[in-house]
Amino acid sequence: MTVTETKTELEEFEPNIIGFLCNWCSYAGADLAGTSRIQYPANIKIIKVMCSGRVNPMYVVNALQQGADGVLIGGCHPGDCHYQHGNLLARRRMVILKNLLESIGIDSRRVRMTWVSAAEGRKFADVIKEVTEEIKKIGPMKDIQRVNEW
Amino acid sequence: MVDQQLLIEEVKEIVSRDDVKYVIGYKKGTYGFTVSPAFAYSPEYADKFIFNPLCKKNLAAYPILEDKLPLKRGEKEDKRKIGIVAKGCDTRALVQIIQEKGLKREDIVIIGIPCTGVIDQKKIISRFPSEPTYSEITEEQGVYKITINGKVHEIAKEELLADYCTSCIAPNPVIYDVLIGEEVEPWELKEHKNLDVLEEKSVGERWEYWKEHFDRCIRCYACREACPLCYCKECMADLLNPQWIRRSVNLSENTAWNIMRAYHLAGRCVGCGECESVCPVNIPLMELNKEIEKDVKNLFEYTAGMDSEEKPLFGTFRPDDPEEFIM
Repeated sequence: MTVTETKTELEEFEPNIIGFLCNWCSYAGADLAGTSRIQYPANIKIIKVMCSGRVNPMYVVNALQQGADGVLIGGCHPGDCHYQHGNLLARRRMVILKNLLESIGIDSRRVRMTWVSAAEGRKFADVIKEVTEEIKKIGPMKDIQRVNEW
Repeated sequence: MVDQQLLIEEVKEIVSRDDVKYVIGYKKGTYGFTVSPAFAYSPEYADKFIFNPLCKKNLAAYPILEDKLPLKRGEKEDKRKIGIVAKGCDTRALVQIIQEKGLKREDIVIIGIPCTGVIDQKKIISRFPSEPTYSEITEEQGVYKITINGKVHEIAKEELLADYCTSCIAPNPVIYDVLIGEEVEPWELKEHKNLDVLEEKSVGERWEYWKEHFDRCIRCYACREACPLCYCKECMADLLNPQWIRRSVNLSENTAWNIMRAYHLAGRCVGCGECESVCPVNIPLMELNKEIEKDVKNLFEYTAGMDSEEKPLFGTFRPDDPEEFIM
């Protein structure tokens, strides 16, 4: 489903950010931020994955195609991964993906990665604030928007 | 230059071995400046084998493409080896496939050929647009001698040499069972054409550049079919559930396909240039591949296709991998 951006003025621009959060740390961190009543921007739409290593780079590309202005991938801190080293594999993948996007001309700041543990509700809120601010500055992602021609 | 006669003799000897099924090599094409792959099942056929600077096709894709039919009752599996004539980049592709366990080293016999660079088909055709088939092509001290209708044309090597050959790190075979002739001196490496220009550009300008190219893409998937390392039985681009890329040909889907193709070759691309040379709309795909190759080398000190014992790039990690981008 394509999420369409209706507001055109840059001041009013509210970005869509897709967050792929790992089940064991980042998602629990987001949960903690919620239960602790910490305010953070509502621009993030969270998709729970079992591990940040589960995030296929094509998830990121497809999200950008389907109306996301930014993608955030959250995993456990190195060494804390529930699956031993899934987050470390994801780290390698994402650095190459970011460089590839940069070299074909898509701003690599749209793809962000973070380590958030289950106890870091405050950090999660801060990260979301920072990402939202940054994507607001970059502006909407229109270059590779998917079109339904039929 | 490779001794033609030596190659034929070597191939004959290998085909007549009991444990070899056939040898894959090159023979003269039917028209223009083409060379086609040849499969020698018998020593007699090996007389057709050639090697000249037009033999650009990477034959490393063939051993894995062979269909293995189900066995009839009582039938035994054919475990004979496959011989393959391979240049430096072809052997790198083979090393990479062996590393990924797509092939077993003991299942192939590699006839290594020290290569001094190959001719870009598009360049030579633009030079002789209406000329009929060549009869001979040789290289002597930086000059290609092309015989067409009895007339010898001499062209400087730089004018016809394929772009990706200037940054080739393995002119000599990385692994081989038999080596034809002497090893060649590696030449001075140059960065791939246009790469420094692209890096100087801003993100927006780079998108303008690639947008124009991706817009032209007709998604024929020739780049995938020609690539020796795109050997998945079922490609992600062909899947219907989930459908990663829509079938429609437009900028969005073309970009997604090109990102996917380049990404899936990250840390695997050996720089043989097949994808670029088969592209019907001349998208400079090697620029993307080389860009990733450079990143992989800088970030992880990893070069694809040099050591078959090494672990694949994305199958391993180091605790000190770069993480400046992580918040």
